[in-house]
Amino acid sequence: MVWDNLALALAEIATLETLLFMIIGTSAGLLAGSIPGFTIAMAVVLTLPFTFAMPPAQGLATMISVLVGGLSGGLMAGILTGIPGTPSSVATTFDGFPMARKGEPGFALGLGVWSSFCGGMISAVLLVLFAPQLAQIGLEFQPWDFFMLVIFALTVTASLAGENLIKGLIAGAIGLLARTVGEDEAVGVGRFDFGSDYLLTGFNFIAVLIGLFAFSQLLSDVRDPVKARQSLSHQGDVRIRIEHGRAIRELLKRWVVVIRSALIGMFTGILPGAGGSIANILAYDQAKKASKEPESFGEGNPEGIIAPETSNNAVEGGSLTPLMALGIPGDVTAAVLLGALLIHDIVPGPTFIAEQPVLAYSIFVAFFAANFIMLGLQSGMLRVFVLVTRIRMYMLAAVILAFATIGVFSLNNSTDDLWTLFWFGLLGFFMRQLGFPLAPMILGVVLGNVAELNLSRALAIDTDITLFVTRPWAMFFFIIAVFSAAFPYFQAQREKGKAWTRFYAPAMLACAALPLVLMGGAVRPVLAGVALLAAGWLTWRALSPRPA
Amino acid sequence: MSLNRDAWVAIALLLIAGGLMVASFDIREPDYGQLSPAAWPRVILGAILAMGVIYLIQSLRSGADEPAPDGPKGARAFVAHWRNVLWVFALFLGYLLALPYIGMLIGAMAFVFLLLTALGGIGRTPIHLALALVSVGGMWALFTYALGVLLPTGSLTGI
Repeated sequence: MVWDNLALALAEIATLETLLFMIIGTSAGLLAGSIPGFTIAMAVVLTLPFTFAMPPAQGLATMISVLVGGLSGGLMAGILTGIPGTPSSVATTFDGFPMARKGEPGFALGLGVWSSFCGGMISAVLLVLFAPQLAQIGLEFQPWDFFMLVIFALTVTASLAGENLIKGLIAGAIGLLARTVGEDEAVGVGRFDFGSDYLLTGFNFIAVLIGLFAFSQLLSDVRDPVKARQSLSHQGDVRIRIEHGRAIRELLKRWVVVIRSALIGMFTGILPGAGGSIANILAYDQAKKASKEPESFGEGNPEGIIAPETSNNAVEGGSLTPLMALGIPGDVTAAVLLGALLIHDIVPGPTFIAEQPVLAYSIFVAFFAANFIMLGLQSGMLRVFVLVTRIRMYMLAAVILAFATIGVFSLNNSTDDLWTLFWFGLLGFFMRQLGFPLAPMILGVVLGNVAELNLSRALAIDTDITLFVTRPWAMFFFIIAVFSAAFPYFQAQREKGKAWTRFYAPAMLACAALPLVLMGGAVRPVLAGVALLAAGWLTWRALSPRPA
Repeated sequence: MSLNRDAWVAIALLLIAGGLMVASFDIREPDYGQLSPAAWPRVILGAILAMGVIYLIQSLRSGADEPAPDGPKGARAFVAHWRNVLWVFALFLGYLLALPYIGMLIGAMAFVFLLLTALGGIGRTPIHLALALVSVGGMWALFTYALGVLLPTGSLTGI
């Protein structure tokens, strides 16, 4: 069955047309990733209008190519110019740029390119292995559980996305609210339309995403008149040959770093709201801590390139896992992919892999193929990717804004969507300026309907609202949501040395054990026991006197 | 007592959320369906109001904003600081308003050229003109001929 689906998916992806779109997509992603200020999410969201006319598998393969290219594009600029193309490759510059300046740019690029490839491939394998398993678990979810899962995703995103949790939560709630404008999906009653036909039809959520991301980001990029007119980089020797053989030998020698960093990336990707920007720093930090020569980090240590580049490419496999298994995106780019699926009338959820196996496997195959395409393109088109960093930001911004209007119009052939782009561009810009993170808002916009639909279904089945916190899975998500909401406060208090913070992790483990026990079966009570043991051990450590 | 920026934002947020909460009572209540169409928006608005109050308290406790660095102040300084952003807003708004009359091809070309000139100066006019014509022309052709999208035509220009 698996092999049949795989063969059918291969037939979908391995057409000349799809491969050509994937090559174009990966090139576009690599270019976007090379340009500081041009985010991967922006590249993926701008690709969306091109995919409407394509069959779903082809459209998704194109978008996945942009995503994979974007994750890898940042390393070129980062290593050769010291300016990371994307936040996902910030840590790559710590050792990549010094290594390049020491006269080994070809080796540094080789390490980056092959680490990206390994990270992508490892996470692709884990995605194929874990997504169907997670979907099996997802089949147990009832509307109460799905509703709490959305609340959990929003809370975690809010707590990770910015310095101020309240601002993150408000942003998430504004996203949910934006989705309520227009006709109610269940009964078709107009909400907040104030007599306007434009508001009655509701905001097209792709136009909202492009406005929030692309428009507001470009406004921020050109805000400073001096910086807007400067080339992004004047540096960068483009007459370099990537040292593939030496880089592969180095990676094989340091395979532990590769595996560990890929797992960090995968896990970070699964967490809603935590993406490549967190994963690359975490993996770099872990590599430095585990190294026998930590003092050489920052001066061109190969592990300082391997760790961040492996982890940031592994992130996407992680963020695609909950999307494909549960219909809940792990990050903003996965949220845009969810949008692409919804445009084709495909609603991802626990039954997605079982009901749409060819499409699901096409996503897996596209993810693998995109990594190979990325490897080939990065090696062959290095010169182009570095030259693109010499473009002036204002030129890029003007052209992309015009492109965004054409793309947004093509969503529904409606100029109303252009106004949505404008208003949400303004809103996103002001929110950025006022310190509100946009990631929770994006997730709110994307998941607003899922939350309302499941709330409605749950209350139709049973009006008892305590079920939202007493059903085992709902309780599990509720507990994790509460602890993740408290996490920023916990961090601040821990820095002040407050004693109670030592009991935060044991308390979370002990609380999470309760729903696991209630779930029954054989494995989960055992997991609950392990969680309780870990909680006990951590408590014992917290109570033990500390050495002076 | 002078309020800091966050406090003003919190007050504005509370006022808007409060206004929408009042507006939610105008949402028609049908006789069918388990969940009232107004219920979910009210849950969200309730959460926004509660978080808005916490945000306001946080803002009030954090004290006044740090004084702005020395330099020109007033409307002229404000315009100078936000010059590029205001150009983008104004030109984009003009583009949207003119769209029904001049169409997307000419409108987008004019928008890109004017924006490039406003942000990059008039010294590079030939480059800006070429960039506007080639980029918008290329995208317009791609969407019109390759993707089969009928982009808006202008009532005055016919294209």
